[in-house]
Amino acid sequence: MKRVLMGLVVGLLLSAGAQAAGFEARAATPAPALRATDLKGVPKTLADYRGKVVLLNFWASWCPPCLREMPSLERLRAKMAGRPLEIVALDSAETAEEVNAYLAKMQLGFPILLDPDGSNTKRWKVFALPTTFLLDPEGRVRHVLTGPTEWDEGEALDVIEVMLGEARISTR
Amino acid sequence: MVACKVTGKRMRVWGFLLLGLWAAVARAGMPDYQAFPAAGERLLLWMASERGRTAPELDAAERLAAQGVEVWSLDSVSAYFLPQLPSSMDAVPVPDLADWLRAAHASGKRVAVVAVARAAVPLLRAAATLDAAGRQRLCVMLLYPNLYTVAEPLAEPAYLDLGDLGGLQVRVLQPRRSAATPWLAGLLDHLTQQGATASGTILENLREGWWARETPTDFELAESRRMEGLLLRELDTWGCK
Repeated sequence: MKRVLMGLVVGLLLSAGAQAAGFEARAATPAPALRATDLKGVPKTLADYRGKVVLLNFWASWCPPCLREMPSLERLRAKMAGRPLEIVALDSAETAEEVNAYLAKMQLGFPILLDPDGSNTKRWKVFALPTTFLLDPEGRVRHVLTGPTEWDEGEALDVIEVMLGEARISTR
Repeated sequence: MVACKVTGKRMRVWGFLLLGLWAAVARAGMPDYQAFPAAGERLLLWMASERGRTAPELDAAERLAAQGVEVWSLDSVSAYFLPQLPSSMDAVPVPDLADWLRAAHASGKRVAVVAVARAAVPLLRAAATLDAAGRQRLCVMLLYPNLYTVAEPLAEPAYLDLGDLGGLQVRVLQPRRSAATPWLAGLLDHLTQQGATASGTILENLREGWWARETPTDFELAESRRMEGLLLRELDTWGCK
């Protein structure tokens, strides 16, 4: 009995920890401009993803917490296939060579954008990595998360599901 | 007139004795502080970050002393029993650090200071309490300093008011692989607005605290074994006199 109770307590503590991602809700503020290029040098802006919920993740290949959450972003992409969610990972202030060296070891199916001079990092006022913005289909910032999380479970998945639900309602 | 001269000489002797005594007392009163004596004319004060002092920092201090640069190393969080958090550095008593700086000046050596991360805050505040001459005699190197009051996504950064840094020469050493690198120019502007003569340099291929990373790169390992060389090179090329 004692073991069961202990197990329940530990389970509750662990689930509380998994939930404590720390998403910060924002009052639908217009997002700053995104002016980046993909790995082939094609210019990209937020307009390319308009009409979808966008998960914009600022990361860098030298940042261990960023790399820790990448597999969960990839699992999220697979889980959300066919739904109006775009995952975009914007590498902060590194060269294409540095990013490609990481991608050679880690296959990712979502778009990777480059910000070699850090101008997007500054425009979005990103002071820590990873930092992730969740944008609604109108391109407004709805949630911000500083630090890593497991994107395909817990609070992160709940927040994304709510945003996708809101998006479905607004398009009816 | 002769009596005045004799009295003046005696006073100078007593003055030097008292200054030396005061310097010794100030140093002895500084807890968790390690000195690495050297005969050279340079003295480097080394303030560890809010994460505490690490073995590679002490190793580098030893190697500096072997090259004739005396080092006084201070671990503020241990000294004042503070948690290892950035906010702890804001609680380090500034008058104690100002005494430390004055004691360093009293040694008669050329004094440089290196402060890591948030340790820059109490150090700069202590420098601000020195008189202008005291500040002008200091060369301050800040390793990836954190001077924010608030730094939230989508909002302009807000920096701490550090006091009057007029005459202080500050060199920021910023590892390239850091989220703070794009913000270096703004940080230097802030230091300049506070009166310092500020400049920065980028440390290529390094991350913040490269000497104490859990998963260091080969380059970071090599650089942590020659950290004293990096600091001396910066001091020599920077031109702070």
